[in-house]
Amino acid sequence: MKIEGLLVDLVPLGERFNALEHRWENGEAAFWGDVGDRQFVSLAVVKRRQEERAARKDQELHSGFGIQAKDGTPIGLFVVGDIKPHLRLGILGVQIGEPQYWGGGYGTDALLLIVDYAFDWLDLRRLWLVTMSLNARVTRQMEKVGFALEARQRRATLADGAWHDLLFYGVQREEWPGREAMIERLGLRAQG
Amino acid sequence: MIEGTLVDLVPFEDDFALYLETWMNEEAWFRAHLWERREPHTEHDVKKYIERMEKDERGALIGFQAKNGDPIGAVIFDHEWPRVRKAEARFFAGDSRYEGSDEVLDALLMLVRYCFETRNLHRLDAVALPFDEVRLEHLRRAGFVHEGTLRQHIRWDGDYVDMEMFGLLDSEWPGYAAKVAGLDLQPSGLEPKPRPEKKDEKKDGAG
Repeated sequence: MKIEGLLVDLVPLGERFNALEHRWENGEAAFWGDVGDRQFVSLAVVKRRQEERAARKDQELHSGFGIQAKDGTPIGLFVVGDIKPHLRLGILGVQIGEPQYWGGGYGTDALLLIVDYAFDWLDLRRLWLVTMSLNARVTRQMEKVGFALEARQRRATLADGAWHDLLFYGVQREEWPGREAMIERLGLRAQG
Repeated sequence: MIEGTLVDLVPFEDDFALYLETWMNEEAWFRAHLWERREPHTEHDVKKYIERMEKDERGALIGFQAKNGDPIGAVIFDHEWPRVRKAEARFFAGDSRYEGSDEVLDALLMLVRYCFETRNLHRLDAVALPFDEVRLEHLRRAGFVHEGTLRQHIRWDGDYVDMEMFGLLDSEWPGYAAKVAGLDLQPSGLEPKPRPEKKDEKKDGAG
């Protein structure tokens, strides 16, 4: 099973992705995804996190996909986490583990797929995410795709020796024009 | 014990645990925790809540009492994040007679004092429901800054409602003594309430 985008496909998270996650967790992508943290993550910790993720998925409180380029290369993962059924909301988390795929629309293409999935299949009502003010790539992306900046926690994280704000973005289902309209608005095109 | 102006912070034990069964079913508790699942809390739930907080290495449940020793409620710091030196601040008046009183404000100030002046935190987060005017006023008077609104983030009494977010930085905190000097805190002068009966005392009496 896969959910097909223009530049990437969402595919089941499995051994192929699990094997790469240790490198990703110790790389630059984790610094951006973990709002400034640089951890030395052991294989055992990665494995434990994968098991915890699977357990949350079993309880239907979590949904996750691997992101792969059209040539089949695994490039990252995307999750809708902390799903609260009675609130019908979830938090988005993304990691493009391979830096050569930063920029170029890969992350945005995956985002459009997951937002549609969360609203149309999981029947969520609201999605939100947190990033740090240092992360210009994500803040630009949020503006482009119409997520609203809802809160700014001042000096709420430390990244490379300096304080930065945490930015909380959200989108309500009724604000989301749908993937097709967003592709049109952004001028996103398949490669080749 | 850490002594404040109108209240003292004390370990959450004995009398506090006895009162909590009532307090956890009061509106103030639900609002403080944004606990939208309004199920009644049983004795078992209360025990579990206390146990969870006792084991919590990233936070603590702390009782506060009037100067006459009457337990009023609790302050909580939670989700302490050592790398960033920040935590979430919560507070509630279990004894509803004290709702909106300066005793509760003093308890919040004492929590801030403890977090900044003892635990060396850099920042405190706080949240409130938009219609919880008592809490909003306490946060404002304590110096917390409104930092945004998560839209329709909580389910409350049949509607999706916003969540108001606040923050206070150590650089904005003048110190407990200076803060209190500018606030003219007034005691409520309430009489202590009767102490609830301990469950095991009841059993001993019957046996």
